[in-house]
Amino acid sequence: MALSQKERDVQMMLAAAVHLGTKNCDFQMERYVWKRRSDGIFIINVGKTWEKLQLAARVIVAIENPQDIIVQSARPYGQRAVLKFAQYTGAQAIAGRHTPGTFTNQLQNSFCEPRLLILTDPRTDHQPIREAALGNIPTIAFCDTDSPMRHVDIAIPANNKGKHSIGCLFWLLARMVLQMRGTVTAAQPWDVMVDLFFYREPEEAKEREEEEGAVQEFAPTEYVAPPLTFAPADAQWEGAVPGQWESEPAVAIPGDLAGAPVAAEWTAAPAPMQAGGWDAIPPSIPPAAGWDSAAPIASGWEAAGPQAPTGWDPAHL
Amino acid sequence: MAERGGERGGFGRGFGRGRGGDRGRGDRRGGRRGPRREEEEKWVPVTKLGRLVKDGKIRSLEQIYLFSLPIKEHQIVEFFLGPALKDEVMKIMPVQKQTRAGQRTRFKAFVVVGDNNGHVGLGVKCSKEVATAIRGGIILAKLSVIPVRRGYWGNKIGKPHTVPCKVTGKCGSVTVRLVPAPRGSGIVAARVPKKVLQFAGIEDVFTSSRGSTKTLGNFVKATFECLLKTYGFLTPDLWRETRFLKSPFQEFTDVLAKPTKISVLEDVEKTQFIENAF
Repeated sequence: MALSQKERDVQMMLAAAVHLGTKNCDFQMERYVWKRRSDGIFIINVGKTWEKLQLAARVIVAIENPQDIIVQSARPYGQRAVLKFAQYTGAQAIAGRHTPGTFTNQLQNSFCEPRLLILTDPRTDHQPIREAALGNIPTIAFCDTDSPMRHVDIAIPANNKGKHSIGCLFWLLARMVLQMRGTVTAAQPWDVMVDLFFYREPEEAKEREEEEGAVQEFAPTEYVAPPLTFAPADAQWEGAVPGQWESEPAVAIPGDLAGAPVAAEWTAAPAPMQAGGWDAIPPSIPPAAGWDSAAPIASGWEAAGPQAPTGWDPAHL
Repeated sequence: MAERGGERGGFGRGFGRGRGGDRGRGDRRGGRRGPRREEEEKWVPVTKLGRLVKDGKIRSLEQIYLFSLPIKEHQIVEFFLGPALKDEVMKIMPVQKQTRAGQRTRFKAFVVVGDNNGHVGLGVKCSKEVATAIRGGIILAKLSVIPVRRGYWGNKIGKPHTVPCKVTGKCGSVTVRLVPAPRGSGIVAARVPKKVLQFAGIEDVFTSSRGSTKTLGNFVKATFECLLKTYGFLTPDLWRETRFLKSPFQEFTDVLAKPTKISVLEDVEKTQFIENAF
């Protein structure tokens, strides 16, 4: 039997454990709770979650300028989801610490006045909630069974503790928004995977880079040669720099690429960059004024380069 | 000499200077206006509301009040009420903090601002110099401008002249009660609230106060609170259902979407930084 869109979504949510609440239940969340399990955990009615997601999507679509929407997550589990959501819907993402005063202090550099605020957890993101209340900003939040609902205008009952759950919810919300806008239809289904929204542990990310790193190990050694030959001729590469570029990869390739999530992420993201992340930087700098202005930046990277991988290793091993 | 400020117990001496400061209460009207002309022309709005006001999209202050939008820039108020807005320094109060080397005196200025026709604002600012305190007080007063609702005592002839109903405001121990009065009664109040009520544009009112009205700060804040409540009171003529309008931020999103020079750069840098992190 073919499942409807809603049923398929509900299946996905159940698989991501969106329905599992916590051992406590806030009285305002009682309406979304279905039952209390024998071990004390409250089960959320996922059908209602879906309805609230639809409502939230309608509100998001009603904002004419998507740049006026701010999606926020202080917790690491939600940061990647929030960034991807912003990328696909055109909103602005704030991942990590919310500087107090961003919505209220007009003298701050990061001052912004959003039309709508979307949060992953009212408890950890309480500061933006407080400021939104001062600035007449409606708030949408994913609320667990024990989340405080103060100043939350649209609460989406869900599990906001698990990484799969948060990723799944943001993916669903993004898809709903795109469907309502008409960007995604039954004829052209959304081809982005849920996994893109899941939080990746640094070890997991490191393993992924190790796989990709094995492929690229050969590339940097080849790329080392060209800068040397170009050095006197090419105006962009000054003498000192290629030598330094060359020494690093030659010395520390296996260790570096294996243990440098920073460099690896460079490989993952921009498609045209085939070699290691070291080469990703220079092409973007030269178009600017000259190598003089860019040289300090490059040397900064070099100084950071050998240290960053070794710095990361003890943290993740 | 040793009595002046060196000892810890020198409180009485400190107040001697304070009484001298009170002399300026009635005399300082309006403050120095001359050399400040240039600042007001170069207003670069920082908030969305400021930008809309500067472009002339907002018709009146009342529109801002309707949507409870926080006013962060005093130039917004000046734009609408500018010439009619008068200010008055109610009191310069010296306040002191005890330090190892004597007392640290700062001056607290209470400034009331108003257009004598339905708008009042109250600003309190403390600063090391009197002039700075007054200036800051004026700005804060403009930011806090409130609409005052006026009504009739009896027959609805002519313009509203008194409070629409009995209202009371409290600050600290001071409670101020405003009672509607018939035309021609004038403002029956003490010197301090009388000033505030004159700025509000209320012509006739009976008042009654309680508490330590000597504390001018609380007295003035209590009358301000009271006037705040005039528009908070539900009277039968407000029973009709509200017709909701679009908030100016929604109506003018395209105007606001046009970036100012600074914000464009910041956005680009921000997105690059974020993408780099992942």
